[in-house]
Amino acid sequence: MNKDDRERIIAPEHTLRADKYPLEDYSAIGRRGVRRKDGYEKATGYAVYTTDVQLPGQLMLRILTCPYPHARIKSMDTSKAAALPGVRALLRYDDPELPERADVSGHFGGGTEGHEPVLNRVGYWQGMPMAVAVAADTEDIANEALGLVEIDWEERPFNLDQEEALKPGAPLSNPESFPDGNFVIPAQQREAKVVWGNPDEGFKEADRIIEWRMRKDKENWVGPERPNGLFRWNGEYPEVWLKHQRPHLSKRQIARFFKIPVSQVTVHCLYQGGTFGGWSQMALNMQPNMIAGILSKRTGKPVKWQFTRREDFCGAGMDNARYQVKVGFKNDGVITAVAATSCFARKGFAHLGHFVENTRVHHLLQESNGAVLNIMPGSAFRCEQNMNALCLGAVLNRVAEALEMDPTEVALKNDGVEGRPMADLADLKRAHGFGGDRDSLKECIEVGKKAIEWGGKWHLPGTKRLPNGKLHGMGFTFTHEWSDSSGSGALGMRIERDDGSARILAQRCDNGCAAETAYCQIAADELGFRYEDVHYRQFEEAGFTTMTPDSSTNLTVNGYAIRNAARQLRQKILEIATTPRIPERPDMGYYPPFPDYKPEDLDIKDGVVYVKKDPSKRMTMAELVRPAFFMGKMDIGSTEPLFAWGWQNQQGAFMGTPGPRPIFVRQAHFVEVEVDPETGDIEVTKVVNANDVGKAVNPEGVEGQQYGGSVMGISRARAEDTIYCPATGVVLNGNLIDYKINTMLDCGPIDTIIIETGMGYGPYGSVGIGEDVATVLPSAYYAAVHNAIGAWVDMPTTPDRVLKALGRL
Amino acid sequence: MPPICPYCSTTFDAVDKLKTHIIAEHGAEPLPRPEGLIDLMVNGERYELQVEPNVTLYTVIHDRLGLTGVKMFCDRGACGSCTVIMNGRPVLSCMTLAIECDSATIETAEGIAAAKHPLIETYVKHHCMQCGYCTPGFVVTAKALLDRNPNPTEEEIREALSGNLCRCGTYPQHPKAVAEAAKLLQGGEGGTR
Repeated sequence: MNKDDRERIIAPEHTLRADKYPLEDYSAIGRRGVRRKDGYEKATGYAVYTTDVQLPGQLMLRILTCPYPHARIKSMDTSKAAALPGVRALLRYDDPELPERADVSGHFGGGTEGHEPVLNRVGYWQGMPMAVAVAADTEDIANEALGLVEIDWEERPFNLDQEEALKPGAPLSNPESFPDGNFVIPAQQREAKVVWGNPDEGFKEADRIIEWRMRKDKENWVGPERPNGLFRWNGEYPEVWLKHQRPHLSKRQIARFFKIPVSQVTVHCLYQGGTFGGWSQMALNMQPNMIAGILSKRTGKPVKWQFTRREDFCGAGMDNARYQVKVGFKNDGVITAVAATSCFARKGFAHLGHFVENTRVHHLLQESNGAVLNIMPGSAFRCEQNMNALCLGAVLNRVAEALEMDPTEVALKNDGVEGRPMADLADLKRAHGFGGDRDSLKECIEVGKKAIEWGGKWHLPGTKRLPNGKLHGMGFTFTHEWSDSSGSGALGMRIERDDGSARILAQRCDNGCAAETAYCQIAADELGFRYEDVHYRQFEEAGFTTMTPDSSTNLTVNGYAIRNAARQLRQKILEIATTPRIPERPDMGYYPPFPDYKPEDLDIKDGVVYVKKDPSKRMTMAELVRPAFFMGKMDIGSTEPLFAWGWQNQQGAFMGTPGPRPIFVRQAHFVEVEVDPETGDIEVTKVVNANDVGKAVNPEGVEGQQYGGSVMGISRARAEDTIYCPATGVVLNGNLIDYKINTMLDCGPIDTIIIETGMGYGPYGSVGIGEDVATVLPSAYYAAVHNAIGAWVDMPTTPDRVLKALGRL
Repeated sequence: MPPICPYCSTTFDAVDKLKTHIIAEHGAEPLPRPEGLIDLMVNGERYELQVEPNVTLYTVIHDRLGLTGVKMFCDRGACGSCTVIMNGRPVLSCMTLAIECDSATIETAEGIAAAKHPLIETYVKHHCMQCGYCTPGFVVTAKALLDRNPNPTEEEIREALSGNLCRCGTYPQHPKAVAEAAKLLQGGEGGTR
């Protein structure tokens, strides 16, 4: 372990400083046009996802789902189902092998959410997998068997609305786990009420105070590859194919559940057909895998499970919440205090965190009241910062409206870090290793405004009707970039002896856009290799944890791990190039390739090792490593394998907790809309994303996230909502025909702008972008709709809501 | 079960009688095709497959032929991920019964790649994929478009691909890739069609 490694272990604040080792020259990093490592496989259909895997003799598992929003099984007769030809195994809630409660959350969740009966006798939401599971020769037989299960249900009263559920006298949503009432504190905060500064003082300082209510409804994640898995017991131990964002955690969970050594569990992690958080964090995420494991063990056959799209729709969506917001501000646009109370359906995420992290607003009061409901569990779906981004955008734009100011001006007046104005933070930037001269938000706003022609087009709300009769609106929002918070990653890297190319050995890490390609770009520049000579080799065992624990922080953690491994490997290459390989046997003629030099005299570029002072003395990597294998006529490897492993553990700013990593990078988004006052239809005519990503390692990947985030953001803001029938508690639009996501015709031109201030904490000053745009953009859209019609419309801004806001319904 | 004539379904009480009947009535006629037997030409390869009447074309192509380019996303003909070209037209394989596809000629993304259609490389070049799950469906739909309209406008491309859903939101990249592939085809470069 070298000094740098030690420092990284004993001093977690190591990563609090900016990147100390930017490269002098970038070749692969930041270059456009590198060929994506996963491109051909994915375009041709050869890329294999978990759902594509079939094993000989596999059984298909189906689990009963609760038909009611809240119901208990009084009695259940499974004899007909068990007797159906083709049924090989059946598991009931009262099976003696099932523990009373177990952690099947997929997230090592704390509290009740992490410890549920594997097959519950009580269903707490319509669509909850429960009570009985069948493994049969085919999916059709398993479905038929479930239809033969005779159940006497006791229907219970249910809650679908958090405000109703918290009123006195409301029925209990889950009397088994929450016998005292439906109130819960947010899952990701310790207390319901969090105060920064002195909100009373802040409101006293204000020239004006405004208050309003708003809501955010429940969008679904709609991951293209439905939740599925395949479990096979190889005699004593299991082999599992997981569609999962955190397979390394799931592996530990499987070991714990089945009481076997974790080292004996084999987990295969393949390409993931869309994750975005979603199912990965819900309470019962690992339930089907554990059931498949039990039944695979009993039958001696592989057991595969896969939810239907409707089951998936009923299983996990983003939090929904109502907000009561109060803001105090000066007449010049400086915000003095924000107090916001949320009432959410669990799980509950912070909503004023972004004020802490990237504004000068010092006085804040965040109160969160959660309710246990009889709807699907809340899950972090791209991402848990939704509420933070929404509240920041809404406050900014409401203040601008009240003062008849340009919202970009309000943003610049309030930009800051943990209560301090950005203009005063040059020293803090320098203390963290940044130049101190650049102002990220100013830059984002400047280029963004130009791209969308803000100067000529922005107007006061509700004041512009176009010649086509539509109402024109311009919206803006900003926040910081994140995705550079806590996480850990580990991987291996080796040189192929045959051709001197490099391979990264790591768990499949395909979250995001061109992630593995970006890792190869980093390795290429650090090694001094051509990009084409670096490959990402999927190392199937989920042991090298290249998907960080929450999958939110890939590049900014794994990028360090790659760099760490590449630097060690490069040093080894140079040492081997200058060291006699078998000093005791000079008679064998095995001299070092560069006998008269020390490692520091050499360099590597484009895969060629050469003497810095005399580049004519050179040797390709292939030439350098081959002799190690073919020593004369003796077929032995006389050097140590050229292998290194790299890792990174880091902490970061998180969820509005004033942290040690002040965030200086910003993103600004602009949306232009046309609203048809007759139909309530909204057309998005232009989107501009201005993202300061610090350093773009793979520019097309960054743009891909801007495009994708814009499309998803507009889609969820304009149309997406999971609708429950108020009378029956059943999901009404649990399919892709009734639940609309954007198509290619629903998105106007998107202008992507990349800004690189180098002020991120990731390698080379980078930050992540994957979660950002989809999460932040809805606020800009929300503001644009307001700017068009002069009234605020809650999201999703469906035509009926628009027409109501216009007074036409 | 009494012996049944495979040609005309007449029943007999002995096998010998059936033999006599066949020689006399049907002679050297070829045997009729058993029910459920279909012929498919997939990516230029001929397959003779026995299928149950309720099995979809998707299941046959994905599970039996092992062509993973057809993908199941929406489950009900709403997303285009399972698109194949059948007899020159894009169809949703999850909504098509295999038994109705006898004698059909089918192309999947794998076949389009094997024919070195320029769409594959333009899709890679323009980053038309993130998770990649829906990508082969787009490639197939785009290929069908270029087959019938070699020089589509951007509007035509967007309309043709509007039945394919992508949750990652790669939409803005596809028209660039399709337009470039069209150009390559027009210039006689980039392989066969």
